[in-house]
Amino acid sequence: MSSFRVLVVDDDPDMAAFLAKIITAEGMVADAVYDGDSALLSVLTQAPDLVLLDVMLPGKSGFDICEHLKSDPATALIPVVLVTALEDHESRVRGIQAGADDFLSKPVNREELIARVKTLRRLHETRRELEERRLAAEVQRKEAIRKAFSRYVSPRLADTIIRDVGTDDAPFKAHAHRAEVVALFADLRGFTRITESIAVHNVVEMLNEFFSVLTEAAYHHEGTIFNMAGDSLLVGFNVPFPQPDAPARAWRTAVDMVSSFGPLSVAWRGRYGVETGVGIGICSGEAIIGNVGSPHFMSYTVIGNPVNTAARLVQMAQADEVLVAGAFYQSIRDLVPEARVQARGDIALRGMSEATAVYSIRL
Amino acid sequence: MGEDVYKVKVAKDLEDLIPTFLGNRHKEIDALRVALAAADFEQLRQLGHRMRGVGNSYGFERISVIGKHIEDGARGGDKAALAAQIADYSDYLSKVQITYE
Repeated sequence: MSSFRVLVVDDDPDMAAFLAKIITAEGMVADAVYDGDSALLSVLTQAPDLVLLDVMLPGKSGFDICEHLKSDPATALIPVVLVTALEDHESRVRGIQAGADDFLSKPVNREELIARVKTLRRLHETRRELEERRLAAEVQRKEAIRKAFSRYVSPRLADTIIRDVGTDDAPFKAHAHRAEVVALFADLRGFTRITESIAVHNVVEMLNEFFSVLTEAAYHHEGTIFNMAGDSLLVGFNVPFPQPDAPARAWRTAVDMVSSFGPLSVAWRGRYGVETGVGIGICSGEAIIGNVGSPHFMSYTVIGNPVNTAARLVQMAQADEVLVAGAFYQSIRDLVPEARVQARGDIALRGMSEATAVYSIRL
Repeated sequence: MGEDVYKVKVAKDLEDLIPTFLGNRHKEIDALRVALAAADFEQLRQLGHRMRGVGNSYGFERISVIGKHIEDGARGGDKAALAAQIADYSDYLSKVQITYE
């Protein structure tokens, strides 16, 4: 059990010494001060677990000190015992009004002092224990929410949602907004053959393995997963948090996805005799971000040209190939070995009004 | 004056505090006399109040009793009664014998 610290406040040094002696004999720690200002300073410096407070003090009275302590949320829970030779009814009422937790009459009876202090100590420690349990439960609850959220959004985003929930800074703003984003689509090559030739339960297991690899890469670079459908994954960068290095993050995510999937692809070949790979499409630009849905179901969504373009690019990408739009390529070209890059020229992508400069990067 | 000897039992663990405690009581008599000479009844009341609180806490019941008389006497402004109480207090302190247990 941690030491229980009692602050004794009495302008009579003999009385203070007596009270401190009894407290110490009971295995508690006692500090003595002799006026109100010193008492307040002592509480501020090191909050005690209990205050034994004389009423008739020079300057600020014990009532004043008690009122002060009880009106401050930081000290309001510290038990205060008023020690007084005042026996009149008015003084007791004044003490209660000041917020005193208990009274002790002077001359002080040793047994009564010990009994009162011990009772308040038990109450104080029980209250502290309950508070600690409440805090532990709160932490546990937040951790459970964080874990649940982390299955859908990056751990950092989950932490921020929990921290900011109910504030104006919440990342999932009620209103939609425009922002520069980098959209990355990743898709499993060879999936059609898998669904045709492999048992259903194995297909589900393979998809789980596939998405585990991809989501790990996305979260590692703090991307936000917007959509997971069929064998395809949509990851956004620079949203909902600003990421000045969003293009580099997206690029590294693509590299990690392909390299991490390599061993899994080899394992599948051995297990099921299928050839697989990851195809990736990336495009940057302005998009609309917001919650779309109904009061019963909502989806945090990114809509716009970069998403559509990335979707078209991934459809064209071969296994272990990253197809990127021109503007995005310019922002990462320093990171990519030139030998791996092939300009495909301006391509008219389906559904797009203008041709898009496309670069192929082989990994 | 009172008895020849006043015997007081004090808790053993307070023994080391007693020399200072008694030293302060002697100083208290001086302060009481000064206050009485100046007819400072508020000071007398405060000193009596303090004696009442501290006396029997240490086991010196008579100090608390005298303190209450001084406190009450100060409120009434009765100098003769106060002088008698201070004399009684001085006599008590000169004759008190302590045993620790």
